Amino acid sequence: MNEPVFTDMRSEYSKSLIRIGHENPNVVVLGADTTDSLKTSGFGKEFPNRFFNVGIAEANLVTISAGLAISGKIPFASTYAIFLPGRAVDQIRNNIAYPSPNGNKGLNVKLVVSHGGLSVGPDGGSHQQIEDIAIMRVIPNFHVFIPSDTVSVSKLTDLMASNYGPYYMRMARSATPLVHETSQEFKEGQGITLRDGNDCTIVSCGITVRMALEAAEQLQNEGISCRVIDMFSIKPIDNEILEKAARETGCIVTTEEHNIIGGLGSAVAESVSESYAVPVKRIGAQDMFGESARDNEIPLLLEKHGITSFNIVKQVKDIRGKKI
Amino acid sequence: MGLNYYQIKKNILKSRKLVIRSTNLAGSGHPGGSFSMAEILGCLFYNHLRYDPKNPQWDERDRLVLSKGHASPGLFSNMAVAGYFPETELDTLRKFGSKLQGHPDLKCPGVEFCGGSLGTGLSYSIGIALSAKIDSKNFHVYTIIGDGESDEGQIWEAAMTASKYKVDNLTVFLDRNFIQQDSYTEKIMPLDKKLDSENLSEMWKDASRWKTGDKWRSFGWNVLEIDGHRIEQIDAAIRKANNTKGVPTIIISRTIKGKSVEHMEDNPAWHGKAPDTDIVPIIFDELNSQFMISPSIIAGDMSNLENEIKRCVNGRADYIHLDVMDGQFVPNKTFDFNKIKELRPLTIIPFDTHLMINEPQKYLQNYIDAGSDMITVHAEVTNASSFGEIHDTLKQNQIGVGFAINPDTELPEWFIPFIPSIDQLIVMSVVPGKSGQQYIESTHEKMSRLNVILEQNNFSGYIEADGGVNLQNIGSIFNDGARAFVGGGAIIGQDDVRAAIRDFRNEILISRRGALLDKAHKLGGQDLVKKWINLHVIGEKQKEIQKIAMERGYL
Repeated sequence: MNEPVFTDMRSEYSKSLIRIGHENPNVVVLGADTTDSLKTSGFGKEFPNRFFNVGIAEANLVTISAGLAISGKIPFASTYAIFLPGRAVDQIRNNIAYPSPNGNKGLNVKLVVSHGGLSVGPDGGSHQQIEDIAIMRVIPNFHVFIPSDTVSVSKLTDLMASNYGPYYMRMARSATPLVHETSQEFKEGQGITLRDGNDCTIVSCGITVRMALEAAEQLQNEGISCRVIDMFSIKPIDNEILEKAARETGCIVTTEEHNIIGGLGSAVAESVSESYAVPVKRIGAQDMFGESARDNEIPLLLEKHGITSFNIVKQVKDIRGKKI
Repeated sequence: MGLNYYQIKKNILKSRKLVIRSTNLAGSGHPGGSFSMAEILGCLFYNHLRYDPKNPQWDERDRLVLSKGHASPGLFSNMAVAGYFPETELDTLRKFGSKLQGHPDLKCPGVEFCGGSLGTGLSYSIGIALSAKIDSKNFHVYTIIGDGESDEGQIWEAAMTASKYKVDNLTVFLDRNFIQQDSYTEKIMPLDKKLDSENLSEMWKDASRWKTGDKWRSFGWNVLEIDGHRIEQIDAAIRKANNTKGVPTIIISRTIKGKSVEHMEDNPAWHGKAPDTDIVPIIFDELNSQFMISPSIIAGDMSNLENEIKRCVNGRADYIHLDVMDGQFVPNKTFDFNKIKELRPLTIIPFDTHLMINEPQKYLQNYIDAGSDMITVHAEVTNASSFGEIHDTLKQNQIGVGFAINPDTELPEWFIPFIPSIDQLIVMSVVPGKSGQQYIESTHEKMSRLNVILEQNNFSGYIEADGGVNLQNIGSIFNDGARAFVGGGAIIGQDDVRAAIRDFRNEILISRRGALLDKAHKLGGQDLVKKWINLHVIGEKQKEIQKIAMERGYL
């Protein structure tokens, strides 16, 4: 594989917001005292009267966004993952997802967070949100995206701005390796097959997509051909691509930096168990909280939960023996 | 919209009845908090809010956000009265398939906010208000929050935010009814000060305890504090709020949970409970029996009417009765519109102007311009044509329409068509012209004749008793059907106007309690009488009602 090129999701998000801010005067941006960190403050400089920093008040952040949305605005509300689904789930449910005006499903609010999963690193377990996919995908009407790189961030931000509805998008804190070509198309509910194969399918999201590709490369060297899917759209999930993968490869390994309960792995297992049941192995946080790790130690933290290309290789080999 | 004081009051009554009816049919719901905000919603819906029931999504409409969403029966009832949907639709409240959910929901066109989870409506309103500012739209956002709801931290997050962004296109009402689900607010989570004593009335009567306004002021808000059941105070506060620029306004409205139904008033049990079916007709009678006291200032010192006004204000009069006499229609002369104009700035209490003058149509505009809230003209000096003109002019000017008959005058034939749209009928029980006369006893008999005609012709206004009303006869005058009472010598003639008005109210209350016991007995005998009495658990009410029931031989 090529040497990874690392780029920063938050900077890309900031650029995307300013771009769509120019295209659509209804786009407004809200923050909660993390606007420099999320880099949404750039939008504020460009459009001062369409930018609101409500301070450290996430519940307020979510509900003000709902009020803006009911009045025709397209609010992008951003802070760290741990403080949105992790803190304001009542407001997310009752003020954004539940109200359904004029036959629409939910309000047109986009919750975009950074600092998802274990890779948050030094801030420690209190700040490592490993429950958000579970929380967000269980709420009716919500769409859930986990981008794997900055190309995804840019395309998905555009997609959210042009599609009506409540969206949740979780970015990683650290710079992430590029996975996609800039020409890659992103369609809601459609996973992207990054590599084809017949012996096993690895379904991944976020920063683990690159790990999956590395694992597939290594397995290829050992004569095992793996299909790799970037399942950035966790809700709606791509049932079709999953059923096809189940039928054609006979087993699935999932990877995510989220609790193995309720996350991508669960979503994949739910899907194939209703279409074409095959063994599914979930790699992710082992139903344990994270802990501090300096930037260069983050791989150690991930390794503790088995979130490594090495473990993916191991699990693929193991699950192949369990095919029905 | 712009209805007059009486029409607003009548609509509030209608919506209260719908709350009782719909929560009863649903078997659950929240009448207590619906009633504490009934006057607030009434003033908004029928005088201030801009909306179009036929086009609920009209872009320029004002937004009403009911943050204390559990009081949805109050909201839905007013929406029905305002014409968003038929009143019968309220029968589906809380039922499967209904657009009238247990809490306000966008499923019902015209509802602006899905309430229920408390503490969020203010933030939501800020979002709407900010959006209006971005788009330079002129609509206003009105939000009703509860005092129990103010336990939620998000209310205060929002309070800071509204202040930071100078959201002056937002006006908040705090429905300060002192009760939340478990008990009284000052016991559960004090907004003013923790209440240790068992004397609950300290909460709402001891003004030195009140700190809620200070809290909001310290958050940078324009704070107005009012009696949330007085239409004129709500109205004035809304006007002030709308004229305040650069800061958001909160109108702290002290209210009574369950207001207008004695056994629900101030009783936490009625936060979220529906009335039983056998009790409903008695409650309807009680709601129909709300009453007003209107002191007549000419019974006081004619050389210092300004002071008489002040005494009325201190006495907490509902209206102030202004007897205008021209020395022609009646032998005496009192004052004219010029005096009323002078008195008007002294108070916002409604002026109940009684024109005992010839050719009232000629001077009508002067009395309108002077600031009257209702104007009554006499049968003896009007006819179908002149009264028709007066009637229309008053309605157009948002003034209550009153009609008066002297003791020896019967309702004229020509007046019959006006009965349904009249606001007030004064049945004189003395010959007008001077104060201090004795009540003419034959008025009782006249009232019972009149009631038949009024009922046949869909009268929905208030009968005002005027002349010789005193503590001895007020109870029987109430039983005759009068709901507004002019007090001359018996109120203004007394040293302590406040005590005199309180005594008037007490006498009427005794009469009303008796009438309601009669109703209970008629409908369900002693069992229902006992059930009714046992509902009254707060304060001394139960003992007092029991006494009345015993006197009537019901126990």
